Amino acid sequence: MILSPEVLTIFILNTIFAIFATIAFMLSIRIFLKWNVNSSSQLQYTLEKQSFLSATIIKYIFIIKIPLFLFFIFTLDKLSNVLTGAMCGAGVLDATSSGTYLIVLKIINLYMFAYWLKLNSQDMLDEMQSYTKLKFGIFIVLFLFFMFELFLEGYMFSSFEVDKMVSCCGSLYSSSSESSISKIFLLKSSYLLTLFYGNFLLIFIFYFLKNRYIFALLNFTFIIISLITLITFFGTYIYELPSHHCPFCFLQSEYYYIGYLIYLMLFVGTFYGLCVGFIKELQNCYTISLLFNFLYVIFLSSIAVIYYIKNGVWL
Amino acid sequence: MIELKNITKKYEVNKNNTVIALNEVSLKINSGEVVVLKGASGSGKSTILSLIAALSKPTSGEVIVDNRRISKLMDNFATDFRRDNIGFVFQKYNLIPSLSVAQNIILPLVPTNPDEKDVETKLNEVLEMFHIKDKKDILVKNLSGGEQQRAAIARANINNPDIILADEPTANLDEKLSLHFIEIVKELKEQGKTVVIATHDPLFFNLDFVDLEIEIFQGSIVI
Repeated sequence: MILSPEVLTIFILNTIFAIFATIAFMLSIRIFLKWNVNSSSQLQYTLEKQSFLSATIIKYIFIIKIPLFLFFIFTLDKLSNVLTGAMCGAGVLDATSSGTYLIVLKIINLYMFAYWLKLNSQDMLDEMQSYTKLKFGIFIVLFLFFMFELFLEGYMFSSFEVDKMVSCCGSLYSSSSESSISKIFLLKSSYLLTLFYGNFLLIFIFYFLKNRYIFALLNFTFIIISLITLITFFGTYIYELPSHHCPFCFLQSEYYYIGYLIYLMLFVGTFYGLCVGFIKELQNCYTISLLFNFLYVIFLSSIAVIYYIKNGVWL
Repeated sequence: MIELKNITKKYEVNKNNTVIALNEVSLKINSGEVVVLKGASGSGKSTILSLIAALSKPTSGEVIVDNRRISKLMDNFATDFRRDNIGFVFQKYNLIPSLSVAQNIILPLVPTNPDEKDVETKLNEVLEMFHIKDKKDILVKNLSGGEQQRAAIARANINNPDIILADEPTANLDEKLSLHFIEIVKELKEQGKTVVIATHDPLFFNLDFVDLEIEIFQGSIVI
């Protein structure tokens, strides 16, 4: 177990979150089961007060949890200095059996927390509180994901063995690796790039057609395709190395923390794109989504093109 | 129209002590009516006013104003409702002593970030309506009780609300000033405003322009 100041901070915050989330969870069950907006009974008025309290608790947990994801990545990078063989966060995640599951769960939760916040803000704008029951229903499910994330995080940080050799990202993100991620390197770059630009083109088309379900679905596929092309193709241009595919190294100072900007664009763009599908009233999200997805595509494309102009070869 | 449907309001003093301020109260007030709620202190008059103004929520029952269920409004909507529809006159005026009369009066407009010209026009209208134009720039703390009352009424009217609620408005005034206040209420009625006054001042009883007198006793309507 490594108790660095960063890990200790995460542990303390997680404990506080767990306590408050449990309170909100218990209130949410009651609200979800007994909410009736048309009723003027004593119970309903009590639930309305409790819903405000509960929503406030959840809102602040999630508002802190979202930027805390970046702190988690930063912590992983810092821990790579302690673990033998690890060069970045990828090695740290691979050092325990729960690391990979944790990062996947964290990304899923990131989207779900942001969605809940959006739903809550929409509910607060609605005099009839149309989304109250839905938002607490979603939180009941989300609470389970949230607690599982806290458990996995605690488990991961407590099961590091400093004297054990771990793999570096160079070996984890390569076609010769035995990890499941290595299968993506079997796909041809030209095929992946066609999918990447094709997906974005469809997002662009459906921005004008305003079909919210297809727009959201395209944003979902865009997350997956973008991450794969980032690892297999665009990443190599950021590193200017044909064999380096790590999705973590460009988060480090050597690459001017450029990865944070890349992931932020992808997250904001696709998140708003997904919101369009889930919340009918959020029509302004179309533009935000398209803008950030466009910036993401242009930014990564320009890195590759600039490399080609400077060196005259593709990697 | 203001409608209270089976309103019960309980205040929990502590775990073993709950005060019932209103018990299954129902009443209807039509637009443009002047209604006097009379009763002893602690009978529940002020609670009715605070419920109509969406300052508090009932324990059970419903408050409906112009077909809007205001007892169900969340705080942010209740604030907007109050700002747009309600003018409140308090027993102790609740003016800010360190501000001038004009500054106090325009205070309810500040959150709406209005045009300066618009504010000036509205301010002059209410200053004239309530005869305090000459006191415009005087600090409130230097005014007499009657003048403070007029400033409070002017403030309640700056947004041109349809409903004016007055809670013991003459409790701190002498008889002459109280009669002047009654004249102002008459003017408000002529302008088509709904006025609800909670008072135990006998000067308000049996006035010819009052549409309804309601007596409250221990949280229930008796007349």
